[in-house]
Amino acid sequence: MDKRVLTIGLIAVLFTTTSCGIDYETNVADGTRRQVLHVGNGDEPRELDPHIVTGNIEFKLCMALLEGLLSRHPEDLRLMPGVAESWREGDGGKTYLFRLREDAKWSNGDPVVAQDFVFSWQRALLPALGNNYAYMLYYLENAEKFHKGEIKDFAKVGVKALDERTLEVRLENPAPFFLQLLAHQSYYPVHRETIEKFGAADERGTKWTRPGNHVGNGPFKLKEWALNRRIVVEKNDHYWDADAVKLNQVVFYPIQNATTEERMFRAGQLHITNNLPVDKTEYYRKERPEALKIFPYFSTYYYIFNTLSPPLDDIRVRQALTMSIDRKQITEKITKAGQLPAFNFTPPDTNGYTAKARVTYDAERARTLLAEAGYPGGENFPVIELMYNTSEEHRRIAIAIQQMWKINLNVNVTLLNQDWKVYLDKRDSKDYQVARAGWIGDYLDPITFLDLFVSTGGNNDTGWSDKRYDELIAKAATIVEQEKRYALLQEAEAILMTELPVMPIYTYVSKSLVSPDVRGWRPNILDQHPYKYISLTPSQ
Amino acid sequence: MKQSMADVKGAISASPRQDAWRRLKKNKPAMFGLAVLSVFILLALAAPWITPYSYSGQNLELGASPPSTGHWLGSDLFGRDMLTRILYGSRVSLAVGFIATAVALVIGVAWGATAGYLGGRIDNLMMRFVDILYALPFTVFIILLMVVFGRNIFLLFLVIGAVEWLTMARIVRGQVLHIKQQDFIEAAVSFGLSRFHIIVKHVIPNIIGPVIVYATLTVPNVILLESFLSFLGLGIQPPQSSWGLLIAYGVETMEEYPWLLIFPASVLSLTLFSLNFLGDGLRDAFDVRDGGVREG
Repeated sequence: MDKRVLTIGLIAVLFTTTSCGIDYETNVADGTRRQVLHVGNGDEPRELDPHIVTGNIEFKLCMALLEGLLSRHPEDLRLMPGVAESWREGDGGKTYLFRLREDAKWSNGDPVVAQDFVFSWQRALLPALGNNYAYMLYYLENAEKFHKGEIKDFAKVGVKALDERTLEVRLENPAPFFLQLLAHQSYYPVHRETIEKFGAADERGTKWTRPGNHVGNGPFKLKEWALNRRIVVEKNDHYWDADAVKLNQVVFYPIQNATTEERMFRAGQLHITNNLPVDKTEYYRKERPEALKIFPYFSTYYYIFNTLSPPLDDIRVRQALTMSIDRKQITEKITKAGQLPAFNFTPPDTNGYTAKARVTYDAERARTLLAEAGYPGGENFPVIELMYNTSEEHRRIAIAIQQMWKINLNVNVTLLNQDWKVYLDKRDSKDYQVARAGWIGDYLDPITFLDLFVSTGGNNDTGWSDKRYDELIAKAATIVEQEKRYALLQEAEAILMTELPVMPIYTYVSKSLVSPDVRGWRPNILDQHPYKYISLTPSQ
Repeated sequence: MKQSMADVKGAISASPRQDAWRRLKKNKPAMFGLAVLSVFILLALAAPWITPYSYSGQNLELGASPPSTGHWLGSDLFGRDMLTRILYGSRVSLAVGFIATAVALVIGVAWGATAGYLGGRIDNLMMRFVDILYALPFTVFIILLMVVFGRNIFLLFLVIGAVEWLTMARIVRGQVLHIKQQDFIEAAVSFGLSRFHIIVKHVIPNIIGPVIVYATLTVPNVILLESFLSFLGLGIQPPQSSWGLLIAYGVETMEEYPWLLIFPASVLSLTLFSLNFLGDGLRDAFDVRDGGVREG
């Protein structure tokens, strides 16, 4: 064939494709017209079962599909009625009586009744389910004993359906933040019939969360789950407040790569991104400040040490590693979006609590500690492996820390990049040495950070346990008076910052790009944006 | 006396290899490719003497900076000198390219020549084995090998080579089937030479042309494969660098810091071009049927 013909042909093809591009309606334009929200959601969710999942990727989906007794105001986060229309506190904060709304319905039309919550909380506590968040329910009377199998009779646990619309809750001790827990996924209800249709109540990974099977009580219901491509939820007409829901659909995309996500946003493929590439912050600050959303976030970025794996079982090694990283450089030169260096585990000024215990940057002292642990000058120190889940930001932080450890301690580290699901599994099974981690507070109280590391904590993946620490956390749960409670928490955090199963790195900011078409998206420190309140209006 | 005899012989009829070299020298693109490759190899070897920086030494204060007198090719996000990273990266990339190709060459030629020459049932068995390996998704295959044998850079070379030999074996077998029919092989057989001797001394030298060409095409493949594997976390690990990895990371920030992409990408492209030119040149040089440079 003549080369010229080929060239002309190619040019013709090129022209057709580009002109198609001009006519093509973007996701955002089309979505705004049809009230379909396109959001980047970071990664493929591990599951959609509220009593199994632990990550914020999954939480965003659970929040759309299910609703707890209470919900949160999208801006100031104050508690608002959810399935419960009213509630009453009694016995000095030890009992609560919830009145469920009459029109609360599951997505198949069944009414949501008080018994649903009894069943769901029982399920969340069944030992065989392996719910990492089970400890969140320990505030219920006898819940801990039930979860540990010390009592078999769930009737003894402090939750009871007095009738279809009245739920009585008894607590082990008065907990000032208890009502906040009810807006968390671990207290969400699940539909008993559906669960039991696809397996036992305490069976993990059954097919009940698949599209077509899933029954929820949230503002949206599950429409499509295309693995590694997208998850689509659509408006649930049976939802009690369906009139308030403006969106017809929300489409979640599992985009790991922030650069890809940002390009999709710019190309009009996404309304809201899950993240923002580090290097793009400057650009958006200057060029498109209206789309850039950076806000303080109730969340800490840290590394966890597997304290069962030598040489990290040695407290001096952990201290040395923690002391030899320069957090200020990391936040100023690598993350660059206003993150604060973290010198302790709880974010500053958590509901009036700021930790006094601090880790420092002291390379000299770190070298001494490492020498005391038997590795003078890093000699004979085994190569340790640092695991992070796929993200360029995690990788960059890991590379910087790898080098800081190399320079300050002469310790060699290999990096291991893993998929979100593999990463979570490896953490759960303690098949790691050092791992990147982040914790977002579930409610506004320092205890949501500190109770992670009690020996029995399902999210304590470090293998670390300390009797005194457990005691302090348990004791703090029995005290209502804030000052005394915080004093105990200070002491607990001091232990944590000495023993260092965790190495705090920085306090997060939430970063995302939000299209100006999106209405009702309000910044808050939990970075929770219920889709119920979001609507879409063309901005130009 | 002996010396002059050799001279005379050389003047009368050059050996096929000398002949090929003569033809190659006339081919300008091929010589250009050869020169570029030689320079890159020399630079890779001399890296520590060329640059005062270390490939892992960070300077977070500096961060990503455009080319300057201090950093000729700029510095990356961690303030590491790009020239240094490209030079050290070329060690990995070129080593992977050549070692993995050599592995593929040795296995592929031996396998293909044996199968082709012996023929019959053995041929059938050997080539079906190749087909089976072909059918395995190679990424999965490599991941499996890496999981079993651990992550190690030399292993990576071998593993890639162990995957790339399949096509080589097929090409070689095809050529051998053709050569086997020729008179000089029959002559060798009638002399009573052993099969091994015939394969090594008579068959393989005659298929060297296509083999060399295919080898030069394998090198760029392998270099790209390495970057893909490293990106998956199976190849080399930070802070080490390779061209592929530098490009993969450069893409992330190509709008903000274009030099992080442009330089490694140019170097890789230049290498691939050179290899292709050289490969074309070699093909023509070894192709005895029309003694000149053939038009593509």
